[in-house]
Amino acid sequence: MLFTYKSLWGKKPRLKSSYEVVIIGGGLHGLATAYYLARDHGITDVAIVEKRYIGFGGAGRNTAIVRANQRTQYNVPLYKEALDLWPVLTKELDFNLMFNNCGNLNLMHSEAAMKAARMTIATAQFHGVESHLIDAKQAKEMVPALNISEDITFPIHGAMYHPPGGIVRHDAVVWGLAKGCAKKGVHIHQQTEATAIHTQGGKIAGVTTSQGHIKTPKVLVSAGGYSAGVINHMLGLKLPISVLTIQAMVTQPLKPLLNHVVSSGAYHCYANQTLKGEIATGAHMDPWPNYTTQTTAHYIKHQAEALSDWLPCLRGVRFMRIWGGLADMTPDMAPILEGNDPIGGFYMDCGWGYFGFKSCSAAGKYMAQFIATENCPDMLKPFNLRRYEKHQLMGETAALVSYTPDN
Amino acid sequence: MKRLRQFPTLHIDTNETRSLKYRGKSLQGFAGDTVATALYANGIRIFSRSLKYHRPRGLYNLDGESSNTCMEVDGVPNVRTENTLLKDGMVVKAQNVKGSVDHDLMAFIDKLDWLMPAGFYYKTMHKPAAVWPVAMKAIRKAAGVGTISADYKVKGRYDEIFLTADVCVIGGGAAGMMAALTAAESGVRVIVLESRPHLGGCWDYRTGAYKENKPLFARARELAGQVENTSNIRVFKQTSMVGAYNNNLITAFQVGKSNDAFTERYVEIRSKSVVVATGCIERPLIFENNERPGVMQVACAHRLARSYGLLPGEAAVFSIGHDLGLEAALDLFDLGLKIRCVADIREDGHDAGLLAALAERKIPVLKGWVAAKAHGCKQVTKVTLATLDGTVKRHIPCDLLVASAGHTPVNGPLILAQTNIAYDNHSGFFLPKKLPEKMFSAGWMTGRSHPQAIEASGQVAGLKALAAIGVTDKTAVFAAEKEAAALPGIDRGCKLVTAPVKGRKSFICFDEDTTIKNIKQAIDMGFDVPELIKRFTSAGTGPGQGGIPGHNLPLFVSKYTASASKPMPTAVRPPLVPTLLATYAGAHHHMFKRTPLHASQKKGGGIFRNIGVWQRARYFSSDFDCKDEILNVRNNVGLLDSSTLGKFRIFGPDALKALQRLYVSDMSKLKQGRIKYSAMCNDDGCVIDDGIVIKRGDNDYYVTTSSGRAGNTVEWFRYHTRYDGWQYHMVNLTDAMGVINISGPNARKVLKKIADADISNNAFPFAGYREFTVKNTIPVRAMRLGFVGELSFELHVPSSYMQSVWDMLMAAGAEFNIKNFGLEAQNVLRMEKGHIILGQESEQRTNLLDLGLGFLWDRKKTAAKTVGAVALRQAENDPGRFKLVGIRMQDDARAPRDGALIVDTHVRGYVATARKSFTTGEAVGMALVESQLSKPGSRLEIYEDECNEIRLQARVVPMPFYDPDGQRMKM
Ligand SMILES: Cc1cc2nc3c(=O)[nH]c(=O)nc-3n(C[C@H](O)[C@H](O)[C@H](O)COP(=O)(O)OP(=O)(O)OC[C@H]3O[C@@H](n4cnc5c(N)ncnc54)[C@H](O)[C@@H]3O)c2cc1C
Repeated sequence: MLFTYKSLWGKKPRLKSSYEVVIIGGGLHGLATAYYLARDHGITDVAIVEKRYIGFGGAGRNTAIVRANQRTQYNVPLYKEALDLWPVLTKELDFNLMFNNCGNLNLMHSEAAMKAARMTIATAQFHGVESHLIDAKQAKEMVPALNISEDITFPIHGAMYHPPGGIVRHDAVVWGLAKGCAKKGVHIHQQTEATAIHTQGGKIAGVTTSQGHIKTPKVLVSAGGYSAGVINHMLGLKLPISVLTIQAMVTQPLKPLLNHVVSSGAYHCYANQTLKGEIATGAHMDPWPNYTTQTTAHYIKHQAEALSDWLPCLRGVRFMRIWGGLADMTPDMAPILEGNDPIGGFYMDCGWGYFGFKSCSAAGKYMAQFIATENCPDMLKPFNLRRYEKHQLMGETAALVSYTPDN
Repeated sequence: MKRLRQFPTLHIDTNETRSLKYRGKSLQGFAGDTVATALYANGIRIFSRSLKYHRPRGLYNLDGESSNTCMEVDGVPNVRTENTLLKDGMVVKAQNVKGSVDHDLMAFIDKLDWLMPAGFYYKTMHKPAAVWPVAMKAIRKAAGVGTISADYKVKGRYDEIFLTADVCVIGGGAAGMMAALTAAESGVRVIVLESRPHLGGCWDYRTGAYKENKPLFARARELAGQVENTSNIRVFKQTSMVGAYNNNLITAFQVGKSNDAFTERYVEIRSKSVVVATGCIERPLIFENNERPGVMQVACAHRLARSYGLLPGEAAVFSIGHDLGLEAALDLFDLGLKIRCVADIREDGHDAGLLAALAERKIPVLKGWVAAKAHGCKQVTKVTLATLDGTVKRHIPCDLLVASAGHTPVNGPLILAQTNIAYDNHSGFFLPKKLPEKMFSAGWMTGRSHPQAIEASGQVAGLKALAAIGVTDKTAVFAAEKEAAALPGIDRGCKLVTAPVKGRKSFICFDEDTTIKNIKQAIDMGFDVPELIKRFTSAGTGPGQGGIPGHNLPLFVSKYTASASKPMPTAVRPPLVPTLLATYAGAHHHMFKRTPLHASQKKGGGIFRNIGVWQRARYFSSDFDCKDEILNVRNNVGLLDSSTLGKFRIFGPDALKALQRLYVSDMSKLKQGRIKYSAMCNDDGCVIDDGIVIKRGDNDYYVTTSSGRAGNTVEWFRYHTRYDGWQYHMVNLTDAMGVINISGPNARKVLKKIADADISNNAFPFAGYREFTVKNTIPVRAMRLGFVGELSFELHVPSSYMQSVWDMLMAAGAEFNIKNFGLEAQNVLRMEKGHIILGQESEQRTNLLDLGLGFLWDRKKTAAKTVGAVALRQAENDPGRFKLVGIRMQDDARAPRDGALIVDTHVRGYVATARKSFTTGEAVGMALVESQLSKPGSRLEIYEDECNEIRLQARVVPMPFYDPDGQRMKM
């Protein structure tokens, strides 16, 4: 196979007039759901419609950090399963997803943060996920570049060390899943934008795309940052989602310097070294909602200031590229996974903010089950849409999230 | 190497030597040399080894468009030595080398390229799975160029500067200078950014005629002189523009000269209008071994001679596709370079004068020919030239191959400013479809190259920039445009991408070692858009920022896929030039707020922590248990600096309405002289703030918020009343007022000594509010609160008087042995009273009822549309919520750690705060638990981190743990 250069996703399929399932969005969640529909449920009469090219959205823009040390018991099992799936998928898809399970270090800069870390660590340990609290000196031993002196803006008190996490090659996941989908007969239609979703008697009837009309009883919207817009425009359903730009950047490639993913909440800054040697860094979203993927002058400077503090040797390194993507944020920083409510045959998988990469495999697997059986799997029940109506937020964040004035 | 001397175009000063260290030797260059030109002068031809194949790489270009000459300089990796000025004493090292740069032990890999087709990482190395971890280590080691040590400290001073301008001109070539001069004539403030150390652009070294008897370089110097002497033009040299953002925000970085106060500095300019005149770079010619040392671009060869006095070789072959190639060949010949022949891709369209001059010098010109292969392992020794169809070949020995297919505009600045560009068939350039507002382009990048046309376009752009900001009118622009239109227009460009080769060693991207063959493989594998090919093959993702493949990749893809649509460019992203983090960070310094008592708190032994935007004294005890601090408040009297509390005045005819909207309580019942504790919720009913409200007059209130919320409070009020048109004002007094909390059974005795008022329990009872003076001068707002559960006064004092009042209290309390207490002591004291701190006993989803604060909520004021009320009504009957409860450990020996879980088979809650109380001797705390566990007496199992499944036992108990009747705070 090394020396054959056949298209990974076969010949370009022709858009049929009907499909059993139509998936809007050729990103991580759309591809993963299609893959599992075919693999686990024998449903291959599936069309993925993608307005640009696969991986155009968050799938091709994220920094590929994976971990399973979430805060609540609803999230941890889902992310744990997703984390365990990387090696499995690599084999199944026969495509190297380049999982580097180097472990994640979350730096803590205050007593309050240490307390928060304790809770997250206890939750992880309670669910059999490895995670430990370490002190600043131990962190320094693992990451020699760390500045653990007292005279930085946010002195480091300790860290949450989560050995099973790491980074995966994000593009590989897109291409590998697309390859797996195509092989099983799923149609991937690139340069095909969904422009309308049709219902009849409270049920899904079809989808109009830029390339033609499709009849279908089931639609999944997994359009990443565009989902809330798509769902509102096409079905009139307003979701409690704010869309914000999130930026990330890389330095020039270097020989190995960081052997872990290191992140800091107080600095709003994480850093990890890709297999290519670039230091990838990013973290926080722009504080105002918008649908552009433009970067800002402020952010790259902020990131340089932050890294100057806690990874000072990087001052001698150059930034090479910064880009932006969309983060679709729900009020409780947990996604919305919903189906058949309020419209029969309509499914949504969105609100993934900046954590939809690490979850995509497991979310896709259970979404596929949901769509195939028309019953919500237990794993996904906590992520229903109605929780917001009932003011029952998930508790994935400890503190108030202040990315819009209305939360 | 001998230098050519005494030209007017030289940028080196041969009277001033500069030394550098390379491979253990001290080498000499001159002032004005770049590191790479100095090395070149010393005979260095191989500057680095390539990323994947460890191929030798040499000087190809002088503007840093590839990583060929990236080296480690003074410990900093990836310095683009070709355009970094040499400073005395620099220590330079080659990168990505095993052994020496001349004899790289890894060079054999070049032969194994067949093992590494496009995307081979994805297709291999995971079978069997055990291979991957090993392979990954090897990949990591092989990848990356340059090293930085973990303890590296960058030297030098990094600064930042923020400017405004009326017109900012990017690019100090002829067009940019004309634009700047034209704009400056009107008197506006003009800034010119130029990345090279001198103005002049590509005319700086060119001998072609500007006008009769005036070569281009002379004209460039003339313009530069005018620009530098115009007082309202500020010129930034060695300043590379790196970013363009909305509303013409331009970022750049400037490299300091030896006498500047900075090594590098970040430059940010908000300009009313912008002219981009960044000219063109050369579009590389692709053939076998097109990056062998000895192959270089036209301008590189030409500038080496004209600017640095270095003849780039002895005997050269030229393979070019434009007149500039002919011009350079001619000039270099006259300077002493032997030229074997000039292969020109073009069959026609040459400048007749140049052809005649070449013929006069007997330099053969082959039209319709192109270089197909460079020979020689480490340096070019021979070139194979071929006809465009590849049918006829010739081999010519040489040590220099000057190669360039054509030109490509430096569109980066425009693209960063959101300009859409499209392929233009005539010029072969990507040209803007429509320029953004108040941004204009000029010069060579627009496709024109005739000297007068270049200058005219600069003039037009300068006038347009003025018109855009209303300084001149459109008629001036139209007139200039008309004049410019009469001059020669857009040139026809050469479109050839690759010589007739298979492309196994034909590099489209040097930095990533991507060949034409790799691109074909990627396309065959289904990656049919340039952007995806870029990702799959990495072409254009290296330190050269796409300078080498940026134009060729889309052209090649379009050709190979025989696509009907025009070539599609790949994304350009900031920074356009790789920029040091130190430079971006600039003069970065910490910013924390300090309370008015900072110094004396520090002197008093305070151990500080950064909390939110503040620095606060958290402990006055080195054991962090704070036992003495706590007991001193319980039994005697202590002082706390609470200045960080948010403080606001809210007043105006509709002030009460606003309070009714935002606070859950009914504020209409508030009486003057009393304080009201209340809370604010969000639309989910979750508590976002708590504090006290004081009525100082009709529709005139004074409120406090928690420290963390102070910054958001005004916006929060404004947001939730934005449609009501109410008239009220808010004044943020957070920094204007400080707060002293004096607590403990002896508090009154101390305060009495300095207050000019009766503060007895009758005159000033619990929950009361009084205003009085201290020492007949200092106005104080005093309230009686019970947060820590003892007799307690909170004094709000103008910041400037804080220290005086504090000192007076300290003096007055000396007889009682009054002491400081810090935040942690307060934390324990209030916990014993069951008083909450938001964020500690609450999380994002915790609502008012969950916290047991439902009594604050007034259900009857529905007309006020209190924020959160709807949600609270709904939550009242919701059994599935957490409740805040008091807990007591079965074993009083120790409290669980904050954040420990409450579990059975599932997680049922967690411990918010727990301590072993010094006051009661019990291990108690507060926890958020599911409601079915919230009844007093419920047994709780506690699961701590690292507990090895050994769970602690506790019970739900009533709160508070201390002084349940509240006698002590009412004393
Ligand atoms: C800078 C950045 C860093 C991140 N870092 C991480 C990280 O480290 N770890 C992590 O777990 N997550 C991270 N994320 C988040 C992650 O990338 C997203 O959550 C994830 O991509 C969401 O996957 P998706 O399939 O839902 O959407 P996407 O991957 O965005 O795919 C949606 C697709 O839908 C298409 N589409 C939209 N509208 C239409 C339409 N009308 N018709 C057809 N197609 C349409 C889009 O073109 C797009 O391709 C990051 C995101 C960004 C932007």
